[in-house]
Amino acid sequence: MGRDLEEIKSAVEGALEKIERENLKEDSSMKRKERSTKVWIVLWGLLPLLLFGGFTAGVVWSKDNSMCLGCHQDESLSKQDAGGRKLSLFVSETGFKSSVHGKLSCSDCHTHIKDDKHAEGGQKAADKRVNCATCHRKAEKEYLQGLHSKLIMKGTERAANCYDCHGKHNIVPHNNPKSMVNISNIDRTCTRCHSDMTFVREHGLGEAMPKEEFRKSVHGKSGQMTCTSCHGSHDLRSLTDPKSSIFRSSIPHTCGGCHPDITKQFVESIHGVLAARGRSDSPTCTTCHGFHGIKAVVDPDSPVNEKRIALTTCPQCHAAERITKAYNLTTKTVQSYYDSFHGLSYRGGDTYSANCASCHGVHDIRPSSDPKSMIHKDNLQKTCGACHPGASENFAKTKMHAVASITGSEFGEKAVGWVRIIYIFLIVSVIGGLTLFNFMDWLRKTIDRAH
Amino acid sequence: MTKTYLRMTLNERIQHLNLFINFTILVITGFTLKFPDAFWASFISDVEMGMTYRGLLHRLSGVLVLTLGGYHILYLLFTERGRRLLKDMIPQLKDAEDLWETLKNNFFINRPAKKIKMPRFNFREKLEYLGLIWGTIVMTVTGFILWFKTEWLLYFPMWTWDVARAIHFYEAILATLTIMVWHLYSVVFNPDIYPMSWAWITGDLTEHEMEEEHGFELERIKAEEKGKPGGFGEVAGVGGGRVIPLHADEERKGSSLRQLFDTIKNFNENIKNWRGM
Repeated sequence: MGRDLEEIKSAVEGALEKIERENLKEDSSMKRKERSTKVWIVLWGLLPLLLFGGFTAGVVWSKDNSMCLGCHQDESLSKQDAGGRKLSLFVSETGFKSSVHGKLSCSDCHTHIKDDKHAEGGQKAADKRVNCATCHRKAEKEYLQGLHSKLIMKGTERAANCYDCHGKHNIVPHNNPKSMVNISNIDRTCTRCHSDMTFVREHGLGEAMPKEEFRKSVHGKSGQMTCTSCHGSHDLRSLTDPKSSIFRSSIPHTCGGCHPDITKQFVESIHGVLAARGRSDSPTCTTCHGFHGIKAVVDPDSPVNEKRIALTTCPQCHAAERITKAYNLTTKTVQSYYDSFHGLSYRGGDTYSANCASCHGVHDIRPSSDPKSMIHKDNLQKTCGACHPGASENFAKTKMHAVASITGSEFGEKAVGWVRIIYIFLIVSVIGGLTLFNFMDWLRKTIDRAH
Repeated sequence: MTKTYLRMTLNERIQHLNLFINFTILVITGFTLKFPDAFWASFISDVEMGMTYRGLLHRLSGVLVLTLGGYHILYLLFTERGRRLLKDMIPQLKDAEDLWETLKNNFFINRPAKKIKMPRFNFREKLEYLGLIWGTIVMTVTGFILWFKTEWLLYFPMWTWDVARAIHFYEAILATLTIMVWHLYSVVFNPDIYPMSWAWITGDLTEHEMEEEHGFELERIKAEEKGKPGGFGEVAGVGGGRVIPLHADEERKGSSLRQLFDTIKNFNENIKNWRGM
C-alpha cells in the first residue's frame, strides 16, 4: 500500500510538472525558438526514432493478451505487498474483454512492470506505471484541480485515485447500469469510503454519513440526482475552497442549476444578499433545507415542513442570542410569536394558523424597510388580508411581535401589561381569599365533628 | 328515609347541566390554546386537525352558553318560579350578617360555633351567581371581539384587540379557579355536603343539608306547612316555587334504579356521618 502510494504520488507529481512545463513552453516558446533553433531541429529529428523505439519496446508484450492472461487468469495468483498483505493478481478475461478497454492490450496501460520476472519476457518500457492520463487528458487535468488529488499529494492513503471510482480491468461506459460511475451507482461508489465510520472519523469529515440519508432524501429518491450532481466529479473541491460548488456563497448557484426560479428570488432576499456578501451567519439553501437528507416540503421530517418551520427552522437563528445581537434584532420576535394567537395555535399543531413564512415569505424574505417586502407598511394590509379577507387599515397600523409590558414602547404593550398586572392582583387576592375562607370553613367543621 | 326538599326543577337542572358541559368544554378548549405544550393539551393537539377544530368547538360552546344566558333571562322574567328566584337572589343585609357570623365561626371567635340560619340562597350562592353574571358578560364581550376581529378592527385600533385578548385569558383563569375553589367546595368538599350534593341530579336537598345551608328557608317552609294542615305542598314549579317537600315515603319505592340510588345515597351519608369507632 505504501509503495502504491509512492507510485501514485510520483505519477501525480510527474503530471503536474508536465503541465507546468507545457505552460512555460507556451509562454516563452518564441524566444526559445530564436535562441535555440538548432537544438529543436535535432530534437525533431530524433522524434521518429523515439516513437519507433517506444512502439518496438511495447511490441513483445502487446501483440495479444494471451501471454499475460496465461498467468493472471489463475485466481490464486497473488503477491505480498510492501505491508505484507496479500494482493490478488487475478484478472478476469471475460470481465476485461467486455470492458470499455477490452480491445486494448495489457501493455497499453501496464507500460512498465517493475519486477524482474516480467523483464525476462521482454524489454522494459518507459518508466511509467498505469497512467490513465495517456488517453484521458481532460479528466486528468480536472482531477488535478480537485480535492482527492491534493490529498494524495499530502499523503492521505485512502484519497480516491482514478481506479477507486472507475474500477480497474472491468471499466464499462458510464451509461452502462453496471458502471461504478453510472448515475444509479455513484452514491454506492462514494459511500464505500464516505459512509465508513472509521474513514469519516480519521479524515475529520464531521461524521457526515450521507449514504442512507441521501437515499431517503427527495433527491435520492428521484434517481436523477447523485453525489456528483452537487459535488462535481473529477474536480470536486473542498467545502472550504471558494471555487467549490458547495462553498457557502456558491450553494445558491449550485442548487439554482435545477431550481433557477428559487435562486433568482433568493439572491434578492435579505438572506441572499447577506450570504453573497460573505456573512457566514446568513442562511443559504442548506441552512433551512439541510443537505444530504433534503426532504420534500410536505414530509413532516423536513425542516421546512409547515409544522416545523416556526419551531426549529427560523428560530435556529432568530432566537439565537449571538446572531440576533449581531444584526441588531431581538430574540423577542420568536417569543412574542409563540405567545400570539397564531403562535399558540401553531404550537398545538394547527397548520391553518400563520407561521413565519405566512407573513414574511419564503425565499424572498425582505426587510420591512424594502417596499417590495410583504411586511412593508404599505403591503401589510394585503399580507394580513390573505387570511383575513377585509382586513382593515388597523390590522397594519400596529407593532407586530409586541411584548406586553408596562414599560413597553407602544401604548398597546403598556395597556396589555397593565391588564395583566391588575388581573394577576385580582386573581391572587380573590382566589386566595376564597381558598382561605373555604379552608377555615372546612377546618372549623372538621374540628367540630371530632368533638 | 329523611324528608327531601325540591331545590332544582328539571328545567333548572337542564340549565345547570348545559352550563356545566359547555363551561368544561370552554375551559379545556381554551386552555389548550394557551398551553399547547402541556401534557393534557395532547388530548386535543395529538388529534389530526384537533387544534383547528378546537377553535370551532370553543366558539360553538361559547354561543351555547350565551344562548343559555339569554334563555335564563327569559326564564327569570317570564316564569313564576324564575321571578321568585330572581327576588330571592337579591343580596340583603342579612347576607352580610351571615357572612360576618360565618367568619366569626370559622376563625373560632364564636365558641361554640353559632348555628346560622341562612335563606333560600345563602351568601355563598349569591356571590357565585353574581360572579357568574359578571364572568359571562366579560367573556362574551371580549370573546366576540376576538372572534369578529375584522369587523372590530374596522372601528377600533389593534391594541384594543390585544387588551381584549389579555382580559379573555385572565378572566378565564379567574372564572375557572373560582369554580374549582368556591363552587366545588360548596357542592362537594364541604364536610356537611360531602361526597356530593345530589341536587344537580335529583333536584332534591336532604333535611340535613337544608338545616346546614338554608335553615331560615327550612323554618319558613315548616311554618307554612303547619299553617296548612294535611301537609299538601304546592306542586313544584308553581305557586311561588318555594322549596317544598315533594316525595312521600311510598314514592321512594319506585324502580330498582331508584332503589340502587337510594342505597348509594344512604351509604354515602353513613360515610359522611361516621365519627369513628
